[in-house]
Amino acid sequence: MQIFPRSLNYLPLVAALGVAVLGGGVTTGIWYYFSPKNTQVGYAPEQPIHYSHKLHAGELGMDCRYCHANIERSQEAMIPPTQACMGCHAVVKKDSPKLAALRDSWKTGKPVEWVRVHRVADYVFFDHSVHLAAGVGCVSCHGRIDQMDVVRQDQPLNMVWCLECHRNPNPNLRPKDQITNMTWKPSAEEATQLAEVKLRGPQHCSGCHR
Amino acid sequence: MSTAGNKQETSSGKRLFWRSLEQKADPQAQHEEAKASDVVKQTISHDELFTLRRRNFLGLSGAMAALVGVEGCVRRPVENIMPYADMPEYINPGVPLHYATATQRNGEALGLVVTTFEGRPTKIEGNPDHPTSLGATDLLAQAGILELYDPERSHAPTHKGVAASFADFDAFVATKLAELQKNGGSGLRVLAQPTNSPTFVRMRAALLAKLPQARVHTYAPVSQSQVLESTRIAFGQPTSVLHDFSQAKVVVALDSDFMMTEPGSVRSARQFASARDMESASGTMNRLYAVEPLFSVTGSNADHRLRLPAQDIARYARALAAELISAHGVQLGAIAPAVQGVATDGIPEHWLKAVASDLAANTGRSLVVAGARQPAAVHALVHALNRALGNAGKTVTYGEALDPTEADNFASIAALASDMAAGKVDTLVILGGNPAHDAPADLHFGDALAKVGTSIHVSSHDEETAALTTWHLPRAHELETWGDLQASTGHYTVQQPMLAPLWGGRSDIEVLGQLAGEPAWRGHDLVQATVTGRGINGELAWRQLLHKGVAEQTFARVLGALEVRDGEVAGALRKLTDAPALSASNLEVVFAADAKMFDGRYANSTWLLELPDPQTRITWDNAALIGPSTAKELGLKSGDMVRLSKDGASVDIVTWVQPGQAPNSIGLTLGWGRKKAGSNGNGHGFDVYPLRTTAAPHFTAGVAVQKLGVTYPLSQVQEHDSMEGRPLAIDATLSEYKEKPNFPEFKSPDPQFAPLWKMQDYSKGNQWGMNVDLNTCNGCNACVIACQAENNVPVVGKEQVARGRSMHWFRIDRYYVGDNEDTPEVAFQPVGCQHCEEAPCENVCPVAATSHSPEGLNDIAYNRCIGTRYCMNNCPYKVRRFNFLNFNQDIPETLQMQKNPNVTVRFRGVVEKCTYCVQRIQKAKSTAKQEGRHWLRDGEVVSACQQVCPTQAITFGDINNPKSVVSTKRRTDRNYALLAEVGARPRTRFLGKIRNPNPEMKS
Repeated sequence: MQIFPRSLNYLPLVAALGVAVLGGGVTTGIWYYFSPKNTQVGYAPEQPIHYSHKLHAGELGMDCRYCHANIERSQEAMIPPTQACMGCHAVVKKDSPKLAALRDSWKTGKPVEWVRVHRVADYVFFDHSVHLAAGVGCVSCHGRIDQMDVVRQDQPLNMVWCLECHRNPNPNLRPKDQITNMTWKPSAEEATQLAEVKLRGPQHCSGCHR
Repeated sequence: MSTAGNKQETSSGKRLFWRSLEQKADPQAQHEEAKASDVVKQTISHDELFTLRRRNFLGLSGAMAALVGVEGCVRRPVENIMPYADMPEYINPGVPLHYATATQRNGEALGLVVTTFEGRPTKIEGNPDHPTSLGATDLLAQAGILELYDPERSHAPTHKGVAASFADFDAFVATKLAELQKNGGSGLRVLAQPTNSPTFVRMRAALLAKLPQARVHTYAPVSQSQVLESTRIAFGQPTSVLHDFSQAKVVVALDSDFMMTEPGSVRSARQFASARDMESASGTMNRLYAVEPLFSVTGSNADHRLRLPAQDIARYARALAAELISAHGVQLGAIAPAVQGVATDGIPEHWLKAVASDLAANTGRSLVVAGARQPAAVHALVHALNRALGNAGKTVTYGEALDPTEADNFASIAALASDMAAGKVDTLVILGGNPAHDAPADLHFGDALAKVGTSIHVSSHDEETAALTTWHLPRAHELETWGDLQASTGHYTVQQPMLAPLWGGRSDIEVLGQLAGEPAWRGHDLVQATVTGRGINGELAWRQLLHKGVAEQTFARVLGALEVRDGEVAGALRKLTDAPALSASNLEVVFAADAKMFDGRYANSTWLLELPDPQTRITWDNAALIGPSTAKELGLKSGDMVRLSKDGASVDIVTWVQPGQAPNSIGLTLGWGRKKAGSNGNGHGFDVYPLRTTAAPHFTAGVAVQKLGVTYPLSQVQEHDSMEGRPLAIDATLSEYKEKPNFPEFKSPDPQFAPLWKMQDYSKGNQWGMNVDLNTCNGCNACVIACQAENNVPVVGKEQVARGRSMHWFRIDRYYVGDNEDTPEVAFQPVGCQHCEEAPCENVCPVAATSHSPEGLNDIAYNRCIGTRYCMNNCPYKVRRFNFLNFNQDIPETLQMQKNPNVTVRFRGVVEKCTYCVQRIQKAKSTAKQEGRHWLRDGEVVSACQQVCPTQAITFGDINNPKSVVSTKRRTDRNYALLAEVGARPRTRFLGKIRNPNPEMKS
């Protein structure tokens, strides 16, 4: 008398296939989760105006704070109002077809719809001003903005990455007057001084999540 | 309250604390569940509609898994950043701006400071420079921000029910004005609410000067008319009455809820608490006697409370005066004969003798106050008593009344209604208010409106009155428009707009200015003209006024201690007739302003609807409040529907057996049962206006009660989170305290066992802690709404509340104390997360979503929480809340605008709770670091509940700093930890409540 039906003979095969598919899925998932594709490093969306940081911050040498003016006093790094751009472009390149969208915005009062590049999750409350006050330079998180024709995301901006620096911020610290300097390298003396700074970012939940 | 024969202790000698009558009868019974299931059964359940069967569940989870896979591989949605095109001055994106303004509350100005993010107001606080708010606010002001963003406010003018534009209205006004000017404005009537806006008063005068035949009427359902009338009797001129509770050692409140619903309650509560704050057992403390029909917030804080029907308060006032004259030789002149020989049935003898001797022993340092409900004669007698007791000029002063027309409140609307019915009114302009709903029922105001040629209604919502008028105009919110207010102290404030009206809208002064033919009738111009007229000249002075929120000089003439016209007062007292005694067949109903809805104007606010009533703890409804003994006599239980009827008018309403309610007196609160308040307010509670008449708008006897034989489900949170009879709100009398200053420690001893693991070191850095003084907390519930506004706490609805799913992070537990159900004492206890150093919740979280910060905060990371709710089960204080549904999904855009941008808006399936306003802590730290400091000053971090508290019962700060206010409070002997014996080492501490009974009252 047969207790088990014949079809059960396929069970080992089905089970093996199942394990393979599931295992593969899990592996892919984990790989993907940690890959730059998920953290979106390199994300460089097209912007409504081809604004080049390479030109403005690099070649012309404008300070970051000329446009992102509130950065030392606010959690948010402001995107400059059209007004700030027009400060120069009412005179410089004032008829350039590339700036049509800017002139439209100035005329109509409607904002230029920039595409967000650097994005942390909604439950993360990142404060620019505190990081600057601590002596973390722009380049540490944003990379060589002065070499980017189109802004792209340079670092993963995920929690592991944040915590690495919060646990040991010293390699990313610099004198406060060098915050916006993209090419600053510490002198030997500065390096020893900075290595002694006893500063730690918060590592508890409410430091960043509220 | 420890009246004769009222045993406060049980036979076992233990003080009895109870939260509801059911719990008192049977402390072990799980009435909460029984009650909850009642409501749930009778309402359509959201959950039932979406019940998942196993097959659906499997199908859905498969689909979800597939979607997760797809979602992971595609780009996150593109997000845009919209900078300003032309950035306004002073804006720093991400950093809020604060503007000083004020709100009108019951004829008083309440100074405010409003937080705005890029032109978007998110939170209202009190203005510390303003004398009536002193940095605090009340719960209605806290809810003002939701009112501003209410998506159901009127969006456009309507003409005969059809949408119109302001241009149409302006054209109409132009032609109408030309017509009116020909006949001097005859047939034009304006109905406005009592005002304390100097610009409004100026515009009203301008209108009457331009159109002398026009008339202006004043009406609000809750007003100070009898107080103004009483000053007319006593002093010969209508004056404002300004109390100073901080200087009063003995306060007698005659049906006066001065801490909650009377004007200037924030200031009164602060002053009263300041005279009650005990730093040590050697301190002094005031004493409050309350005589009242309903169990008010003020009565809950009284040291002695006598429950007396509203109609008998006048009798008590006269008997007390007679006692003062005969036993203490107080000089009342010609008034004396008018108060002699009053029957004292129902008034215990010591309530006259002991109260009188207490008052007489504290001349110049006592205060007698009467509530707005009591007749003018009682108020006049109170003025005379305060004069005779030497209090006038010390604990009470009088000032020029800004709007004397308020005295004629009910007469004024009655005159208007009769003229309307007689067809004498051609054009009626209603500025604010909702008379078709809330005018006395015998006036049939709604019917009379039909006989008016053209009626214009200016109001925030498309409400009951709007449907009956020719024109309806959206009324701009106080945060959207220019205006001005004068406080009773004479301080002048300009109201400035935080944003342009969301949906157009005009203010009262603008409509009035337009009618008065002012060429520059925009609010800004009108207010500036008033300011200039008051001698504040120049751009700098104007800017300073806006900046500070209150003018340097005061404007009301202080009249000081006025002579009382004894003869007139005696005459008014003689007109008081003693009504027949009340009984189960001759019941009294008392109309009271609701603590949340007030007169109905806040009826569409979900925050207020869901807030448990301070006394009954009922949410989303009101009820007829009946005392336990009267209810027994009538055979009524809580939840029974009854019909209250008098003279052909009737109201069907649910009963609630309310301990402490006066015998044979039924308490009814106004403002509920609206039919056109908006989708939130409609149909919640019961409208009691049909019983209110011009003859008796405050209380009336001869009401018949008929039991309807059906029940109505009420959602109340009284028994939620019950702590099973442990000593929680610890209290003592002043003499007990002096004898045993550390009394709370005996009741809540520290644990004697060793900890299970190595204790955390909390000796370094900022260590946050909170102290709540049960002695000064008066149970006003402003902190609950403040927390809701600050922390994006969602509203869950009546049915969810019944299931015990209320979301308030901060709650105020109300305990009754004593064995007698009719005369219990009250203890309020605010409870939020206690931030235990050895937190039981943290140990059971399987995913470490809740853990401790080095600064002693019990943190929670929402994105990590998987919703097991183990933490909720393991919390001894029951302060954690779970998002059972997605309460924040698909909420209207304007409500999204209210959300605090520094606090996560939570999703379904996560636990949340009080964070000690960690966003404010982080903000302060950020500011300190920007300034190069690595430490925080004391007072730099203020929690939302602390900031709003009118009595400063809540203190918050660094307990590692020995000089901080919170550390000082923790060192006082009344300090104790809630349920200390469980060993959780909470960071929130309480200070035991002290009662100050008069030894003579025991008799």
